[in-house]
Amino acid sequence: MDISSIAFANSLILGLSIAGIFFVAALGLTIIYGTAGVINMAHGEFIMLGAYTVYALQTFAGIPYFLCIPVAFVVVGAIGFAIEKSLIRYLYDRPLDTLLATWGVSLVLIQGTRLIFGSDPKYVEIPQFLSSNLEVGGLSLGVFRIFIIFMALVLAAGVWFIFYKTDFGIKIRAVTQNREIAASFGINSGQVYSFTFALGAGLAGVAGALFGALNIVLPTMGMGYVVEAFLTVVTGGGALLGSAIASLAIGELQSIFALITNSTFAKFLIFVLIVVFLRFRPQGLISASGKRR
Amino acid sequence: MIQNPYHNKTLQWLFYLVVFALLGAVPLISDDAFLLNQLAIYGVYGMLAVSISLCWGSGGILNMGQGIAFGLGAYCMAMTMQMQTQAEGTIPPFMLNNGLDALPWIWQPFQDTTTGIILALLIPTAFYLIFGGVMFTARVSGPFFAIMTLATLSAFATIFVDLQPYTNGVNGISPPGSLNLGETEIDPYSSGAYWFVFALLVACTVAAKLINQSRFGLIVRALKDDPERVRFLGYNVAIYETLVYALSGLIAAIAGCCFAVLTQYVSPAQFEVGFSISIVIWVALGGRNSLIWAMFGAFTVQGAQSYVGDQFLSTWILILGFSFILVVRFLPGGFAGLVETILGRAAKPEMGADTANLEFSDAKEVAK
Repeated sequence: MDISSIAFANSLILGLSIAGIFFVAALGLTIIYGTAGVINMAHGEFIMLGAYTVYALQTFAGIPYFLCIPVAFVVVGAIGFAIEKSLIRYLYDRPLDTLLATWGVSLVLIQGTRLIFGSDPKYVEIPQFLSSNLEVGGLSLGVFRIFIIFMALVLAAGVWFIFYKTDFGIKIRAVTQNREIAASFGINSGQVYSFTFALGAGLAGVAGALFGALNIVLPTMGMGYVVEAFLTVVTGGGALLGSAIASLAIGELQSIFALITNSTFAKFLIFVLIVVFLRFRPQGLISASGKRR
Repeated sequence: MIQNPYHNKTLQWLFYLVVFALLGAVPLISDDAFLLNQLAIYGVYGMLAVSISLCWGSGGILNMGQGIAFGLGAYCMAMTMQMQTQAEGTIPPFMLNNGLDALPWIWQPFQDTTTGIILALLIPTAFYLIFGGVMFTARVSGPFFAIMTLATLSAFATIFVDLQPYTNGVNGISPPGSLNLGETEIDPYSSGAYWFVFALLVACTVAAKLINQSRFGLIVRALKDDPERVRFLGYNVAIYETLVYALSGLIAAIAGCCFAVLTQYVSPAQFEVGFSISIVIWVALGGRNSLIWAMFGAFTVQGAQSYVGDQFLSTWILILGFSFILVVRFLPGGFAGLVETILGRAAKPEMGADTANLEFSDAKEVAK
């Protein structure tokens, strides 16, 4: 194996890791958008809250990292549930306004966090074995990045199970296809929306628990993920599989472009590709509801 | 039936006249150079609010990336101003620091002031025409268009930081001198600069209002309510959407030029996502359907922000966030909607219920 093919293989593996990050970031958004059609601009802040939850649990209660992840899911899920019940549910038939209202929510969440925790960066402790590097024949990748890929698969499997193997999943899919008819069959569509929103928020919380360990924890950290997450969801079309394929494609392409040019320009190229793609397929790869936007 | 005075066109123009007469008279009252510069910058924000009100309020196109046109206009203007201060054959110092020894081709046209200013308006507008054309013919609209503008904006921010030799990266460009138009120098700290920006603000607002009142504006408002129906009536919806989007881009580009002239500084901060969204917040608070109330929204929010000062800034952002949520939830027409309802009730008290209903149907239409 010569150097360039090693570099290429390395960038493919790095791409897989980027794809894992994108997918984890986009998962909650996919569920909320795919089901209720809500563009949740506060998604990045849910991620941020997840990271702060882990930080707070570790600092003030000394809870080990692996236990923090499910707690972050519950805490952020509960916050999401409260926001849905108090604000989002009044705006389901005004999609542009949900976008704006959730932006207001994100402003409040960022500022609230800043007032409570301050603007200085916080750090999340992870177990020793996760912070090492794995090297196999010239290929190397941080163990934590492998853990994120693993978590992406676990979360995808979990969401798939909820959607396709449980009663609640049947209700979600029924409401996604046609809210009125589902409601006339006795499904409490408002309740389904609330719990779906909470589930999506909770998944963002898990993403935050992971990203908080990957990077520093800041009140504004959510902004960095939200645009990428949106692009993944829009390209994927709002379905679970669509987001998985989209994040894999974006991650790998970005990593390969970064090898050829540089990482900033790679992001730019990816963006141009997405615009061109959406020009010819505005509904995304796999459209959840089959409706044209 | 008694008409709501809010909808009376003569009264609307009269209101414009009074407001602009008051704004234009400011330099006669105060000659504090710093204050005038600050107020002129508010005028720039007012232009941005007008531009968003034009495409969002009238056309229903939520543009969360107005910073694209604003930033491009500001950069082009700053490049022009930079080249004015540059002696023949020399290149800006930051380029030397970044290892360039000749003026890059992209900077060449800005050596000439007229060409530079034309480009400052042409480049953003052309970009909006192309981007809007691509998006609207693919029938990308509503929230997705908003997301795409947001993504484009962050792409611009990335690329302007990345192209350090040409844009000086995060430091931005700060031309050492003020803009010279022919023999006249526009000193940013003077009543002249204030009136210059004020005249452009009046021109943009009046032009936008005339557009709204024209046949073109009627179709644009129709497609906000129901693009499918407008399409079935035989209009090419994509062309109307692209044009109104590009016109709003042109106004934002003018605002960008003024901003560069007034602050003598431009940086990737102009492409910041937060700034572009705060324009939307001004307009939403002021009233998206009214150009002049959108402008008031910009004045109020920005004015209050600088009034509360750094000490209470964090509390202020919290208040802003909450009031934004409340306005979106309960008052989709912003303060203009409130004024409309109050005037309607004052004109004919028993019609109050009717107006309230109208208000509600408006809110539903806005949502589509």
